[in-house]
Amino acid sequence: MVEGSSEDEEDGDELPANSDRGLECYYIQAPRVSYLPLLVPEIKRYLHDVVFDEAAARLIKEEDWWFESEEGNLLKWHWPIGLIYDNHTISQSTRPNAVPSVFTPLRLILHLVSPPTEKLLLSPSADACKQAFMGQLKEADFIRWGNTKRMTGLRKAEQDGLWEGIKEHNFDEYWRVASKITPTTVPTRSNSPPPPPSTSLHTRPPSADPGSGGGPDRDGAASVRNVPVRIYLPDGPVLQDLVPPVLDDGSMHTLAAFLTARLPLLFPAPDSGKANLAYAIVQGVPAPPEAEMAWLGACMAGADGWVNVCVGLLREGARYP
Amino acid sequence: MASPEPHSRALPSAWTYSDGGNILQEAQEALENYKKKDGNKVVVRFKAVGNAPIMKQNFYKITASNRFQAVIQFLRKELGWKQGDPLFTYINLAFSPAPDDTVANLFKSFSTEGHLIVNYSTTAAWG
Repeated sequence: MVEGSSEDEEDGDELPANSDRGLECYYIQAPRVSYLPLLVPEIKRYLHDVVFDEAAARLIKEEDWWFESEEGNLLKWHWPIGLIYDNHTISQSTRPNAVPSVFTPLRLILHLVSPPTEKLLLSPSADACKQAFMGQLKEADFIRWGNTKRMTGLRKAEQDGLWEGIKEHNFDEYWRVASKITPTTVPTRSNSPPPPPSTSLHTRPPSADPGSGGGPDRDGAASVRNVPVRIYLPDGPVLQDLVPPVLDDGSMHTLAAFLTARLPLLFPAPDSGKANLAYAIVQGVPAPPEAEMAWLGACMAGADGWVNVCVGLLREGARYP
Repeated sequence: MASPEPHSRALPSAWTYSDGGNILQEAQEALENYKKKDGNKVVVRFKAVGNAPIMKQNFYKITASNRFQAVIQFLRKELGWKQGDPLFTYINLAFSPAPDDTVANLFKSFSTEGHLIVNYSTTAAWG
């Protein structure tokens, strides 16, 4: 997994009296596949050990904590950190004076009081985050197969295992369960490479999809009804729509075709003679336009099952692809 | 233009720019088209689950750009339930969407027969 870095600054006005203000900045290396509520314990330990005195430490209430980006955007508890980072990247792409995407830590401001609860919508607890994560997995499952039987077919311990894998940053523990519900890539069906070897070693249960007919492709990435995909535009909105793996003419649905269909003004059709005005990143990496949506759904989705396509704007002299 | 260093996260040199220029402006104008809020309304059908009361009116037209959170608040008001009363909502008896998912997105992905089914219950059912 690729790791991103974020830098947390505490809002000086909100620190309790006697806090050591010189140490208001804390660097953390956070996995892309993690969530802000999971970082809270580490940050809290740092604050307790280094910044607060005992009296202050007792006053701090984690449930009042909230994060915002340096541009003043409220950060969501249920968004993966990688997504928060990529959104920051595309947000910067719209500002003429911003430096282009060179690796810098993502600066976050941590507030300790007065959370804007109406906008946050979720409580900051790890448990609320886990529930949201499970909800996203089920929604992705439904998009793929028209039902959530793969998810509900997991034992409770297995479902919990998915979240534990995220919490512990344990790739194997996560994939032990995820391999049962994630579509496989079938090399004969498409031109895309199969996923990493560790995921194909796990056995799969019989297909829960009643209409599947039990053919060899039944869990294949190209056999899904639709791929769970969301498009993120700079500073919003988030777009979601049905994304079939195969188009009506039988060809594999590529990222290029998908972007041209949804955002023709930013990604004009190849025969229009116009160049792209924007680019797409998935998991922090510029995504090749010829990538198949089915393959992205099997190999580049987040831990919650969703392919998050972040669209940034291009500038003079830049091209995509 | 700097050439990319092997371990940096800079975009490849073909992507760097010399000045903001007209492309960015053109791109920003194009982007504005996609930021316009969808003023259309879509039909939401509320279906009670378990012991939850059935409402007199179950079909409502809801503005597509609303977040699902607004739908939950609307339902709570129609049922006459207070903020603290337990209310669980699901789409197609299958999953609970994130509260900031928009009705437009949910409708596009999950509508059946021209409406989006929102199940409601007093107890957690499908998690």
